[in-house]
Amino acid sequence: MLEIRWHSRAGQGAVTGAKGLADVISTTGKHVQAFAFYGSAKRGASMTAYNRVDDEVIMNHEKYMKPDYVFVIDPALAITTDVTINHKDTTKYIVTTHLSTQDLIKAQPKFVGKEVYTVDCIQIALDTIGRPIPNTPMLGAFMKISGMYDIEFFKENMNRVLAKLPQKIIDANMVAIQRAYDEVK
Amino acid sequence: MEYKGWDEFEIGAMLRSFDGAIDDIAGTAQADRKYSENNSYKASVADWRVLKPVFNKDYCIDCQFCWIFCPDVSIIARDKKMIGIDMDHCKGCGICVEVCPTNPKSLLMFLDHADSEAELAAWPEKDEEE
Amino acid sequence: MAFDKMELRDIEVWDGNHAAAQALRQCQVDVICAYPITPSTPIVEGYAQFKADNYIEGEYVLVESEHAAMSGCIGASAAGGRVATATSSQGLALMVETLYQAAGMRLPIILNIVNRALAAPLNVNGDHSDMYLCRDSGWIQFDAFSPQEAYDLNMIAFRVSEDHDVRIPSIINQDGFLTSHTAQGVHTITDDVVYNFVGTFKPMNDMLDFEHPVTHGVQTEEDWHFEHKARQHNDMMTVVPDKIENAFSDFEKLTGRKYNKVECYDMDGADIAIVCMGTSVETVREVVSEMRKDGLKVGVVGLRVVRPFPFAEIGDTLKDIKAVAALDRSAPGGAAGMLFNEISGSLFNTDSKMLLSGFIYGLGGRDLTKANIRDLYKELQANVDAGKVLTKQQQFIGVRGPKLAYL
Repeated sequence: MLEIRWHSRAGQGAVTGAKGLADVISTTGKHVQAFAFYGSAKRGASMTAYNRVDDEVIMNHEKYMKPDYVFVIDPALAITTDVTINHKDTTKYIVTTHLSTQDLIKAQPKFVGKEVYTVDCIQIALDTIGRPIPNTPMLGAFMKISGMYDIEFFKENMNRVLAKLPQKIIDANMVAIQRAYDEVK
Repeated sequence: MEYKGWDEFEIGAMLRSFDGAIDDIAGTAQADRKYSENNSYKASVADWRVLKPVFNKDYCIDCQFCWIFCPDVSIIARDKKMIGIDMDHCKGCGICVEVCPTNPKSLLMFLDHADSEAELAAWPEKDEEE
Repeated sequence: MAFDKMELRDIEVWDGNHAAAQALRQCQVDVICAYPITPSTPIVEGYAQFKADNYIEGEYVLVESEHAAMSGCIGASAAGGRVATATSSQGLALMVETLYQAAGMRLPIILNIVNRALAAPLNVNGDHSDMYLCRDSGWIQFDAFSPQEAYDLNMIAFRVSEDHDVRIPSIINQDGFLTSHTAQGVHTITDDVVYNFVGTFKPMNDMLDFEHPVTHGVQTEEDWHFEHKARQHNDMMTVVPDKIENAFSDFEKLTGRKYNKVECYDMDGADIAIVCMGTSVETVREVVSEMRKDGLKVGVVGLRVVRPFPFAEIGDTLKDIKAVAALDRSAPGGAAGMLFNEISGSLFNTDSKMLLSGFIYGLGGRDLTKANIRDLYKELQANVDAGKVLTKQQQFIGVRGPKLAYL
């Protein structure tokens, strides 16, 4: 069982990102789950979304999770909240930030001794899509860190997931995914 | 209407107006329609009446006011002419008399057991003061 | 047909809401009257989108309240259409008056309830308070534990409700957020196959049949009312169970997916069992399969059909089980939980020596963890070892503060 927890603000696309990832993984025959905690979510409120992936049908519906990966797609949340809650020794963190990994760890001591990767998904999204929606670039970075799928296979499937969007936006997302894949450290 | 057991009627809070199909309701006179036993047409309320309206054809101008206002659809009209009262469904409320515009009125209320012929013979004269 | 068909992949990643909306599209619902409310909103929104995109030939009527939504559904159904809607929580509470009307008028409406807590305090998350609120309203009630089941049960519900021997409306429950907003793989059925399964809607006593005028929604007093209610209950008790069984069986032939009024998992040779509803059934299943690997004789029972309550099936399933926990996800308001009571009723006057304990859990979306469930089985085993229920009969799981136990 692979478990992922997303830290996001409502409106940044964590739910769409989690569902998109689940959709792509599902095409390879694996079983998936994508869900989120909303509360009475307002745009900008802190929220979490989740993915589970397994070879067997996933029946666990508890919200409690010790994630294998933590995605932080809002830069401030890595500092102002504890994104390491319920961690295990092997938990990997991918954090959106303009800081280097070293500077991020200095800014948030809870990251000391943990496997932390950084990538500026906000800047990448602004440069490519034109809006600070960091969800798809985060998935590009995840493909690099996890080595889960070949990036071309992933982009091809994301094309299908995003098919309802205008072609220009889809193309920009593809560039964003590739850039995050190349830039994550 | 006969009381039936729980398994003896059609499901739903639903009643049929007619037995069998009807294709031209508007073109079929009430007397010729196959009303079902559930239809209020089959239920007489004649005994609710203390006073009854008597219709005097001599003064009626066929204005249809009584036909429009009767709450029990008991004014019988054919080809826009008032021809009488459905005494099975008239409850004797007197609204038809209230709305009748002629002078003297073409409808007046009398005790239900009054002799209509006698009352017609003694119909009031035109009220000259109006 | 004047509308477009949709190509679906064999497995789509859908949440429970989208799965239900797709089922309503594939069943070609004629009329939806809706007043959207969280977390059920995407179901009726989905239907509206499908209609706007020409995937449906039907009418979407946006009304001014949930009471009006079901009233509109009643009118459309009496007129002779295939009708559905969706709601949750406070919306359902406002709709309840009309639920009794729909059932009494024998109109085969389909209502998706995405289960959510009832205020106060206001809460948008999942529990079964709304399901329990209308449990005696005379509707058939199905319970889905996953998005797949929310999809499948909609089709099964149309099939059962619209049968002229039944003509009783159906509710399909799914857990707010845990099913409705959780995307999982859903095995799809093609548009034509779904439509053939539910069939073309066959009107009965419809108001648009001008050759046979009918009056719907008549008044009766003590002279007729009792006979109508008795007929309704009789049909629920004697006609509906077999019709549900037939629909489950035909659905299995079509898809290979087998549903049962009472779903049993790992119940063969089980000593102790949990009975619950919704997504909890699946979480408990996962714990049970882990505990079975350790040789523990544990099982789980999920209630698929809440009304008509499968009295005999529950009795048969549990009669030889040594200890059972009934999990109710609704504040009982000064009584034992509904499942506790119904299970007791199923086994009273039998030889069963089952030890039954009731638990209230998960209110307002409070998590039911695998650790909670393991503790629960330990408690049941302790009862078996002692030969009696060691605790009070009603306890609370997962609430902060001093332990609560009653009865």
